[in-house]
Amino acid sequence: MQTDGPAPDRTPASRRSGGFSRRSFLKGASIAAVGGPAGAAATAGGAILTDAPRDTGTIPAGQLREIALRVNGVERRVAVETRTTLLDALRDGLDLTGTKKVCDRGACGACTVLVDGQPTNSCLMLAHDAVGREITTIEGLASDAALHPVQQAFVEHDALQCGFCTPGFVMSAVACLGKHGKPSPATLRHELAGNICRCGTYGRIFAAVQDAAGRAGR
Amino acid sequence: MNPFELRNPDSVAAASGAAGPARVFKAAGIDLLDRLKERIDDPDALVNLLPLGAELGGIGRSDDGTIRLGALVTLQQIADSDALAAPGLRALREACGEAATPQVRSRATLGGNLLQRNRCWYFRSAAFQCAHDGKGDRCLAWHGENRYHAIFGVVDCLRVHPSNAAPPLMVLGAEVEVQRGEARRRQPIAALFPDSPAAATAEHTLGADDVLIAVHLPAAAARGGSAYRESREKQSFDWATTAAAVHLGVEGGRITSASICLGAVAPNPWPVDDAQSLVGEAPSRELFEQLARRVFRRATPTEQNRYKVEVGQAILVDALLAAAGL
Repeated sequence: MQTDGPAPDRTPASRRSGGFSRRSFLKGASIAAVGGPAGAAATAGGAILTDAPRDTGTIPAGQLREIALRVNGVERRVAVETRTTLLDALRDGLDLTGTKKVCDRGACGACTVLVDGQPTNSCLMLAHDAVGREITTIEGLASDAALHPVQQAFVEHDALQCGFCTPGFVMSAVACLGKHGKPSPATLRHELAGNICRCGTYGRIFAAVQDAAGRAGR
Repeated sequence: MNPFELRNPDSVAAASGAAGPARVFKAAGIDLLDRLKERIDDPDALVNLLPLGAELGGIGRSDDGTIRLGALVTLQQIADSDALAAPGLRALREACGEAATPQVRSRATLGGNLLQRNRCWYFRSAAFQCAHDGKGDRCLAWHGENRYHAIFGVVDCLRVHPSNAAPPLMVLGAEVEVQRGEARRRQPIAALFPDSPAAATAEHTLGADDVLIAVHLPAAAARGGSAYRESREKQSFDWATTAAAVHLGVEGGRITSASICLGAVAPNPWPVDDAQSLVGEAPSRELFEQLARRVFRRATPTEQNRYKVEVGQAILVDALLAAAGL
């Protein structure tokens, strides 16, 4: 680990800004309810090492170690254990909670992110294995003013009901369009086969992605 | 997951040397993380092979036509590879391209696919103790839920081999390259699987300090035609209930070589010796259906998996027709 980078930032953005979000409220409520700390970071007792070699050598069990992850074009520092998944590092460490944790076994696709452009189950990837890779989450798709065309198409086609699978579906769709441009219906189904929607909105999802593929610039 | 030490070796030899009791090799970790989360494996340390991409990655084609697939090559890389474009290699591309999901294929490695643990639900559950996980004294599937279990080659454990890549590699005459310490060796892929796949036997024959580093395909594999077909309960994103990989040589309207390996029906990838009976014959649906009936007549299904006898024949005939271009 390099020590000359920006100081580690382990404070969720919602708290730094002094703002009040649904998430910070829920977190506070759960702490109050169980009377103890929440979050994966609280499971490790040792000090955080910042001078550890990056991605080489042996990393002891149970030790929090700071790694640098390049997420949505920005290098972020996050303290993780060897067993911390990329999913948990994103959600609990970096407060990027758009990526959803559902099955945690690679069976549902809700945790899909892009790693070097490839769709990936972030629940089946160790955070340590993501060092040096380019990670894109649902938060990284929209520009300042505009949604990503796939996001916009989901809105216009009303391609969701409860919405919990939506970030994963959008990421798989972005990867599919990046690879195939204008996929055939069969190709689209093949490329979205790793995502499950329990509300059953598949028809609208396929229509939205086909629509996004057809728009200029995609 | 329980805590574990993560070792990142800087060479294959160092990885082999880091092996030991309660330590396991990790490639992408697709199957391994699942086992750790289910608490059916609890190693003290993972020896991470991912940093060894320079040695263990890449698909290379030599001037003599032989092909080397690094053990860390992903299933998606195989499915998309131009170096594997020949019709004779189609079975391997199809098997890898149909495995699991895009999210899994983009990271799951060839080595991991070959060496993953089986999917028997008794083995996969920490709540059950069976002879295969070493905590029990018998196979629970015999008198339990066995609809996804083996119909060929059963010793005393009804598990089926889970690898999609293994059956096509068997029919392509692949060899695996293994390193222990500084020493490398090559062996036919069939030797990767135990002669007698008993409950007490692991799914593969590698030693604890053996690192699978590559799979080699002979030049002859690219010639002829090949195909892989599998049946599933869902159209996508599901484990095979039966599978068949076929490689055929056809010249002048006659079959000149034939190799068949079934998947998801036996504790090992299940080569079909009867394939040799096709040589000299003219390919036809009738010929293939006769062979399929002969092959599956020897099946020994249990209470809930008799359907595999019917479905497996249809899958085998489909694969033979596709490999023959019919």
